Amino acid sequence: MFHVLLALAGDDLHGYAILKEVELRTSGKVKLSTGTLYGIIKRLLADGMIVERRSRPAEADDDERRRYYRLTERGREVAAAEAERMDEVLSIARARNLLKKPRTA
Amino acid sequence: MASADSRALRFYRALLRVLPFDFRGDFGPEMETVFHEQHKEAGRRGGVAGVLRLWWETIVGIFKTAPGEHVAMFAQDANFALRMMRKNPGFTLAAVLTLGLGIGANSAIFSVVNAVLLKPLPYEHGDRLVMLQQQAPRAGMLGQPFSVAETNDYRAQSHSLDGLVEYHNMNFILLGRGEPERVETGVVSWNYFDVFGLKPLFGRNFRPDDEQPGAPAVLMLSYEYWIRSFGGDPTVVNKTFTMNDKLHTVIGILPPVPQYPDENDVYMPTTACPFRSRPAFIANRQARMMRVFGRMKPGITVSQARADLNGVASNLQKAYPKDYPPSIDYSIRTSALEEELTHNARPTMLVLLGAAGFVLLIACANVANLNLARMVRRERELAVRAALGAGRVRMFRQLLTESFLLALIGGGLGLLFSWGGLNLLISFAARFTPRAREIHMDGTVLLFTLAVAVLTSVLSGTAPALAARDTVVDGLKEGGVQSTIGVGRRRLRSLLIVAQVAVSFLLLIGAGLMLRSFQKLQHVDPGFQPENVLTMQIGLDFAKYNTGDKQRAFFESFLDKIQTQSGVKSAAASMMIPLNGNMRMTGDFQLEGQTPIPGQKLPVADFRVVSESYFDTLHIPILQGRGFTRADRPGVPDVAVVNRTAARHYWGTQDPVGKRFSADNGQTWTQIVGVVGDVKQYGLDKDTADEIYVSMAQNPLMDAVLVVKTEAEPMSVARGIIELLYAVDPNQPAARVQSLEQVRAESVAAPRLTANLLSLFALLALTIAATGIGGVMALAVGQRSHEIGVRMAIGARPGEILRMVLGQGMTLAFFGVALGLAGALALTRLLQRLLFEVGPTDPLTFVGVAVVLGMATLVACYVPARRAARVDPIIALRVE
Repeated sequence: MFHVLLALAGDDLHGYAILKEVELRTSGKVKLSTGTLYGIIKRLLADGMIVERRSRPAEADDDERRRYYRLTERGREVAAAEAERMDEVLSIARARNLLKKPRTA
Repeated sequence: MASADSRALRFYRALLRVLPFDFRGDFGPEMETVFHEQHKEAGRRGGVAGVLRLWWETIVGIFKTAPGEHVAMFAQDANFALRMMRKNPGFTLAAVLTLGLGIGANSAIFSVVNAVLLKPLPYEHGDRLVMLQQQAPRAGMLGQPFSVAETNDYRAQSHSLDGLVEYHNMNFILLGRGEPERVETGVVSWNYFDVFGLKPLFGRNFRPDDEQPGAPAVLMLSYEYWIRSFGGDPTVVNKTFTMNDKLHTVIGILPPVPQYPDENDVYMPTTACPFRSRPAFIANRQARMMRVFGRMKPGITVSQARADLNGVASNLQKAYPKDYPPSIDYSIRTSALEEELTHNARPTMLVLLGAAGFVLLIACANVANLNLARMVRRERELAVRAALGAGRVRMFRQLLTESFLLALIGGGLGLLFSWGGLNLLISFAARFTPRAREIHMDGTVLLFTLAVAVLTSVLSGTAPALAARDTVVDGLKEGGVQSTIGVGRRRLRSLLIVAQVAVSFLLLIGAGLMLRSFQKLQHVDPGFQPENVLTMQIGLDFAKYNTGDKQRAFFESFLDKIQTQSGVKSAAASMMIPLNGNMRMTGDFQLEGQTPIPGQKLPVADFRVVSESYFDTLHIPILQGRGFTRADRPGVPDVAVVNRTAARHYWGTQDPVGKRFSADNGQTWTQIVGVVGDVKQYGLDKDTADEIYVSMAQNPLMDAVLVVKTEAEPMSVARGIIELLYAVDPNQPAARVQSLEQVRAESVAAPRLTANLLSLFALLALTIAATGIGGVMALAVGQRSHEIGVRMAIGARPGEILRMVLGQGMTLAFFGVALGLAGALALTRLLQRLLFEVGPTDPLTFVGVAVVLGMATLVACYVPARRAARVDPIIALRVE
């Protein structure tokens, strides 16, 4: 779920693009299937964290069945809050020397 | 390639069906495009392996997502359904109550059927237990018990049994705990409970040395007696009690199991019984007193055991031709104990289960109708939802969820109903089977109730949901409150009404027949007057009253004392009282002047021992000769009185008074001194047997029933008579103190309660069906008020409108009755076994029920009909 939010933090994306983005960002470690992806999208839509974009890019190869999703303000806040929480957890882990090398974001 | 692609897509689309309809509707097409792209890329990058991996991940992903989505959708539907219910409290209440009654009736009766007929006997290896009975039909011997010698022979010679035990019942007197107490005692082989597979709750089982002559007296308490008399205190084990003349030690307490053939307080080994222990009794092959039970070896069937035991029977016939002459047709009857314990209950319970099922069907039809009626009002809502994109399947699911919730709440209510009625039901079932104590609400009953609720929701929800499918499209088009219901739906509603009336008719017939049968039973002349008669059981202490003289002296002095008591008209004693149980003393005899022909059956009669004023006390008419008198004592010739049936049977037109017979092969002769009227000894519905009464003074009894004719309410003198008893012997208890009226009521309690239960179901059905018809007619009138207005505007009179509406309702009822009649003619045969002197097609019942049903329909239709007749044409037309 967090991964989907992160993927949408950049551009508004359609479903397949979200899958690719998540796969790319996690170097292939997280691979979503269509079932899980749309289960997540449904919940994010219901919770108002993402919305379906009305307008669509006028690209030539665009399939009209594609829908584009955009992160809402609330979605962005939740994603940020989650990122902060993880950051805090990470700094604790670092302080305890659980993480060898601090990575630069 | 393209075809492979489209095949993959088709398969993917099929896979998506695992997901709920909504989900597919929202995301299906999109998911397909995403998958399409994934598929293309997987093929490009990973080849066949990549595609296979994608499929694997996709399938797993969808199956992981689906359950959660289904639950979420059910929750959403349920939420909506609950909102709808709150918005329509009237409908909800009616539906829940109807379903609750329908489901409750079923789970209640099922709890009985489950415990009594479905579950295995609560003994270890209960399915291997058999009951043995000797029979010699040509000697009038059916269900004969066993003598000691016979028990030993069958035990030694059978190959199919790995245990054979004996049982008989007697009574002891428990002293030292307040008033003396009669204790019903089962006298059994030491390994009786081992063969039944029963382990004591506390303490130990009997051991072989407990059954040795002269062993210390021990007893096992039944669970019920332990709870009743000792409050379930386990420390009673090893305590000693004085019973009759001996100290007895409690060695164990039985678990709660059905007790058969009798409900006993305690059990003792066979050596505890003084009669069973007498050498003369043991030696006498004809002294038959004990019931015998066997446990079949593993893997042996009842028919194998039967064949084996009949082999033993023919051995006995060869070895003892004098005891089992070929003429008597001697054999052994072997039956499964389970069958023995439940066959009385089976027909009644199955009839009741069927009746409960019918009540549920009516309830379903009624709720379906309520649903259909509501659908008319919900048409706009449904149409709007359809317009907003809810597919038909979706709506179907929503409506089914609603009826499922209704059925679930109804089922919960039903469980409460049946739980509330459980104790009544247990005491009802106890009249048919010793297994009644096993009845309770367990997991099986809960599961059954849930299954019934699901079935109910399908039955009551499908029709309206299907009907909804057809109308959602038109709903918006017509756009008004006045949208007329489709012809199809109206027909469906009429059909449901007809079905309800038909099933109600069926149930009413069933109840009517049972009531008529019970009424007939009530009017049977028992042959005696039960009014103002007190009865009590007096079992003498066998150690103290060990001779016939002592027994006679006790009863004579006690009866004399009672006669002088104020409020007492007369008093007598007897071996048993009429209408009570199945105790029977059948014997053969020979008539003077007729030498018995070998191979010919001897005359047979039931013998009864009564004291001198017995016939007076019960007002049994003396038809010829005389009854017994003080003069009929030991030392003078034995006398007897026969009943009218025996007199006709054996003497025909001759006067039996003065004739003699012998019950001991001509050694002694008894003279008949009178003929009395027939008495229903074994039940009001049973035929009278040939009976010979003999005098108690000449044949003293150890255990007798006292009958006392009183001037006023018999129970009011009971205490005084018990005090008199203590005055004669302070250690002598009285048991089963009750009036003869109570005995009589008890004897017909089973048919009475069955009739009542069936009537309850039928009344329920009638109420539901009648309100159903009323409701349908009201709705029809409401919907047709425009039409009615037009009719009245063009000159129809209110009376005509009234008749029209009534006519339509009655037409439905007529078809229902016709259908029910056909069903009843086919089904009431199943009731035959429960009926007494009433045919299963009793015309009076059929006509009566049709009239009752017609009246109920008329009343139910009258209210809406009157409303129709009062329609104001102006208002009705203005609505348009």
